[in-house]
This record gives sequence, C-alpha cells and structure tokens, in this order.
Amino acid sequence: MSSPRPFTFLSPGAWLIVGLAVVSSLAYLAWPVPSRPGRDFWFFSPPNEQHYRAILEKWNAAHPHDRVNLVQIHYQALERRLVAAFTSDTPVADLVETESLMMSRAFAGRLEDVGFVDLTDRLHREGLWEKINEPSFSLWTTRGRTFGLPHDVHPCLLGYRADLVEAAGIDVAQIETWDDFRRLLGPLIRDLDGDGRPDRYLLNFWENNRDLVKVLLLQAGGDVFDAQERVSFDTAINARTLASLVSWVAGPRRFCVDARDFTAGGDQMRIEGTVLASILPDWQAGTWKSNLGPLSGKVKLMRLPAWERGGLRTSVWGGTAIGVTKAAPDPEKSWAMAKHLYLSPQVAESLYRSTYIISPVKAHWQLPCYREPDPFFSGQPVGALYIAEAPHVPRRIASPYMTLAMERLMSVLVALKAHALARNTFDAASLLPEAPRRLAEAQADLAAHIARNVLYAAAPAP
Amino acid sequence: MSRSTPPLASRGPRASAPPFPRWAPWAFTAPFLILFLLFTLWPLAQSLLLSFQQTFGPKSTAFVGWSNFRFLLHDPLFWQALRNTALYTVGAVFVQLPVALGLALLLNHPAVRGRAIFRLIFFAPSLVGLVFVGIMFAQIFQKRTGLLNAGLHALLPSWDPEFAWLDEHVMPSLLLASVWLYAGFNMIYFLAALQNVNRELLDAAQLDGAGPWARFRHIVLPEIRPVAAFVVLLSVIGSFQLFELPWVLLDNSAGPANRGLTVVMYLYQTGFLVGDLGYASAIGWLLGLLLVGAAIAQMRLNRREEN
Repeated sequence: MSSPRPFTFLSPGAWLIVGLAVVSSLAYLAWPVPSRPGRDFWFFSPPNEQHYRAILEKWNAAHPHDRVNLVQIHYQALERRLVAAFTSDTPVADLVETESLMMSRAFAGRLEDVGFVDLTDRLHREGLWEKINEPSFSLWTTRGRTFGLPHDVHPCLLGYRADLVEAAGIDVAQIETWDDFRRLLGPLIRDLDGDGRPDRYLLNFWENNRDLVKVLLLQAGGDVFDAQERVSFDTAINARTLASLVSWVAGPRRFCVDARDFTAGGDQMRIEGTVLASILPDWQAGTWKSNLGPLSGKVKLMRLPAWERGGLRTSVWGGTAIGVTKAAPDPEKSWAMAKHLYLSPQVAESLYRSTYIISPVKAHWQLPCYREPDPFFSGQPVGALYIAEAPHVPRRIASPYMTLAMERLMSVLVALKAHALARNTFDAASLLPEAPRRLAEAQADLAAHIARNVLYAAAPAP
Repeated sequence: MSRSTPPLASRGPRASAPPFPRWAPWAFTAPFLILFLLFTLWPLAQSLLLSFQQTFGPKSTAFVGWSNFRFLLHDPLFWQALRNTALYTVGAVFVQLPVALGLALLLNHPAVRGRAIFRLIFFAPSLVGLVFVGIMFAQIFQKRTGLLNAGLHALLPSWDPEFAWLDEHVMPSLLLASVWLYAGFNMIYFLAALQNVNRELLDAAQLDGAGPWARFRHIVLPEIRPVAAFVVLLSVIGSFQLFELPWVLLDNSAGPANRGLTVVMYLYQTGFLVGDLGYASAIGWLLGLLLVGAAIAQMRLNRREEN
C-alpha cells in the first residue's frame, strides 16, 4: 500500500490562497521603501505653497546636498501625525509649520518632552527677539521657553460697508468705543422687508463664536489663563466683557447677527448688507477679497472700537509658526532653513500680495507693497493699516487646556444669555452680579480638572 | 489505487483520525487570531492599564489607581455627556425606529406602486458618509440662509428666520439629521420582517373582523418582535457611540453650553485635545460597561417577554 500523498490535506484552491499569501507577504517585506533625499518640511495652508516653492527651489539648487522637500498635509492630518510622532516616535518632518491650537497641544507634559526644539536661546542670541514683533512669540511660548518662529502677526481691524455707512452720513472717525459704534450706527438697524424683524445688523458676532469671543476678550484685556498659565476666568474684566457681549446679542439693544465666516450663508449676508461690519484679521481681509467680489470698492477698514476710551483699538486672531522637531537629524541646518524661509522679504511680499498677511519681521514693514492702495478696500493701504496695529496686539497664553477652557467660558456666556432672557434684563450692568458667580463656578470646575493632573502639577509654571 | 473514499467500516485503526492535521484549524484561523490579538485584545488590555494611569504629553505617565474613575463619577461634563447621549438614544429609539417602521409598513402595503424605487430612495441616505450628512445639515439648519428656516419663513411669515436650530435646539436637530440618515436603513430590517409575517393569520384576523390597528398590534408586532429587538439593540449601541454627526454638525465642537456633547466626544476631547489618554480610557471603559449592561438588560427583557 502506497503512503498517502503529501499536501493532500488541503485542496488545490486552498494551496493557491496560501501560496498567494506567502508570495505577497514576501513581496511586501522585500519591496524597497522609496526615500526622499534631504529634509522634509510639512505645512498645511495651501496658499503658502506658492510662496515657499520659489524660495525652496532656489535653496535646493544652491544646496544640492541639503535639499528641502515641501510636503503639504491637511491640517487635521498634520495634527494627528504630530501627536503620533511626539507620543510614539513615528516618522516626522524636520520642519513643521504649525497652528496655535496644534502647538499648545504639543506643550502638554514636561518642557523637556515637547517635541519641538527649544528656540529661546537662539532667538535671543541671534537678535531675532528684537527683529520680530514681540507679541507674536507669545503663542509659541510656554513656561518661558519659545518653540516656534512666528509666521505672522494677525492684528484685527473692523471691515465695514462704507457704501451704506457713508450714504447714511455717518462719520466713522467719531467712533472710538463699542458704545460709540452702537450709538452712531444704531439707526442703520432696519426692517427692510416690513415683516417686523430687522434685516440689517451692525456687527457679525454671536455668543457661540469661540474665535470672536476670544478676540474680544483679548482686546478687553481678559483671557482664560494668566501669565503663569493658571486658570483665570473669574476676573472683573472677563465678567464685564461677557456681560456686555450678552447685551450685544440679546434684548432690545441687540446689534449683532450670526453671519458665520467661511460659510456661503454668511457671505451672502455680507453681500446683501444684512451685516454691516466684521472683525477682520489680516488673513481674513484676503479671504474677503477672494470670496466677496461684489463688495469691491464698497468696504473699508477702520481700527476696532475700544472697550473704553483710550483702550486697545486692535486684537489678534489666529497664528502660524514654524518649528524644528527634535527628530531632525541636523537641527542647525533645519533652523537655518526655517530662518531663510520665514525672514525672507520675498516670501513676505508674496504672502501679502496673495493673502494680506503681514510679516512679523519689523524690517519688512517698510516694503512698498504694504502702502499700495487697494481698490477692493476703496483705495486704502491695507498693509499699512494692519502694520500700524501690529505692535499693539495682545499677548496670548498657550495651554494644553485651552480647548477645555474655551468650552467652559462659552458655556458661561450661553448661560448668562439664558439668564438675561429669563429675567428680561439685558444691559451689562444688570448682568454683572451674575457673571462673576458663573465664571467662578467654571473656574473651579476647570481648576479641579487640571488639579487632578499629577504630572501638570509636577511641572509648574515658573 | 482508487481515489474513492473507503467505507467507514473498512478504514481500520486510522478510520477515526480527522481528515486534517490537528493544527489545521489553528492555521486557518491564525490570520484572524493574530490580527484580533494585535489590534483588538492587546489594545484593549493596554487601554485598561491606561485607565489607571495619568498621561500628559508625549512621555509623562503616572499610575493613579482608581483616581480616573473616581473623578469621572463626579465630573459634571461626563454626566452632561451621558445625559445628552441617553437623550439621543431615547430619541433614536422612540422617533427614528417608529419612522422606520412606518416607512416599512407603507412600502409593505400591496397598494403602493414602485416599491423598489421607494425602497432605494429611503435607503439611499444611509449610503452617504456621516461627515457629509453633518456638513449638509449644518447648511440646512443655518439661521436666515438655511433651507429649513428660509423655507419655513416663506411658508409661515411668523416663523423666525433666525430660529437657532444648532444653538438652542441641538438635540432635535441631531435627531432630525439622524432620522434622515438611518430611518431608511432600519426600514430595510423592518420590511424584511414584515414580509415574513404569516399572511394567513392576517387574513383570518381580517375575516374575524379585526381592524388594521388590531391586526398590527396582535399579529404584526409579535411577529416582528425579534427583528425589532435586534434593531433597538443596534440603535442603542450606535447611539451611545455617537460622535461624528454632532462633531461636524456643531463645527468641531460640542455646541453651545455643551448641548451636543456625547460620551464619545468627551472621550475624544480629553484623550486627543487635552492629551489625557488615561482619563479617556476610563471614559471608554465605563461606556463599554454601560453598553454591555444595556445589551444584557435587553436580552433579559426579551427572554421574559418570550416566556
């Protein structure tokens, strides 16, 4: 009797599957992974590519052994990759252009664990601290150490419908405070279609707009963290500001409307004149120009009305910086590249011409492009107007708890509005006793959340 | 030698030997087992460990015992998230499923023509990604310019065009979007169950004078109960995992005053926005326990009803 044939315990089909699995696994393991020579630079903002590419092509031609590869990654993908790289040592670029929230998350943990190279000493040693608009460093600084070279300043102005305001004979030069703004422009709030509801409001703001609440809070001198990065909700400035904001969006003296930025509906409301004015950082002036064509020649920029006479006439919104990751094999070369890119007058001019973003490098503020009149903004020199405010932008605090803090602050504002609606009292003064109570509650709640973090307590702010 | 299989009686001492080597089943299941071990069991064990740790930043970890769970039980945001999620779940079960059943009953009616095309139309939304639905409904619910407010204001001039769907009525907005998305999907289950209802029983009941409601209550509903129980369980589990829809609908946030905060959203916020993976793991485990509890409760309830 012959012995059973080998391999017959599997059918030919099953053997085919096993064979394919083995071959494909071997092919996968043996396949060479293509690698790019040189260092990688990750960035997320599509418009920046054109500014950087020209500079980098020249750099690569001049430094064939030190090439830089420009890699555009979607914002959220970049954020995920950074988190993965810093927590699990997955591959990361040598240079990363990062945004404020992304950077504040990178600040979680001990200083020595931050995934970016500490640039503080270099910035001072090389005189960059003096050359660059100083408040622009604040967002990239934690516990006294700076980890990013700022890309911008992002001061805020007020963009308004000059055609409608001037037709009503209103002189905006008379507006110094938000109260002036409401009083002088108030008559323009109108019911245009006779349905008994106003169809025109003065300002694009709503109590659920986190960014704008932060902008206005900073302008008033408030914030959710103090300079030592401790929770600081319960302050007189915060209470006064939130109480005022409620009176902006509710009650008989309401003058704001929710005309969301970056939405078709919001743009339609701006074009139709449902809203007369919006707080505009420099980058958003560029967005207006590209998205709101029908408003060309009908809008102008002015300084933000202050919270009180003599108060700050600007604020700040957004921010981007470049950082050198600790994974970079040669941080010195990466740092040299970062400076070459960010301090370049060519990039500054190109960036301004396409986006209105002004450079944080003070020497560049003399570039003629910033003083050119712009037909979209009725012939105003847009760059010069923003540069005039740049040195005054408020300093900001970067904290890994920023998202949670803002969520809680927004809850206070919403609750304060509900309180006002329930009692039918809308003026800021009558809301003032309630605001500190709610702020104190929110502060205690967040402080308890932070206090349970034994690692945060182990690395206190100086 | 013949290749035909010898009769069992003539196989001799090797007759009882299995046709495959003993390791063959393991070899066949190995790909799944390896992946399950690597990507499910091991991370599960890791997350259990993490739930007893404090993490902050890339390299900082400390063992904190039950601290995460203790804090969780007193965390007002967690309870708000749980309340919101439970409210959504109740809405999903008591609004979405009756709508799905209603659609299925309509399409199961012999008088309805073009049932296949209606079935496709009602089912089609569930083929669309959640993110797309979130973006689309965020536009629909816009104040003034949104389709819903603009349409209602045009029909009823007294309707406030600034009706704040996504500010003050987050849960009804979420439910509306989810009904649009899932009602057709659940309808398919109900339709399949309805088509298996015994026609003879229905005809007999009709002959005995039972009206439509009586026939539905006493014949259709008991017949489709196993499927309905399955759909309810799926809806409860899916509702407790709610994240993408409100996250996108509310512009990457939990909405004003955290009105749209769900348990999974809170898990995401603490784990990935704050970097406290330990606390996020504790939330995940508590959510898992809640879901297991819900499933067991439902199974017992079903068993009791069957008995």
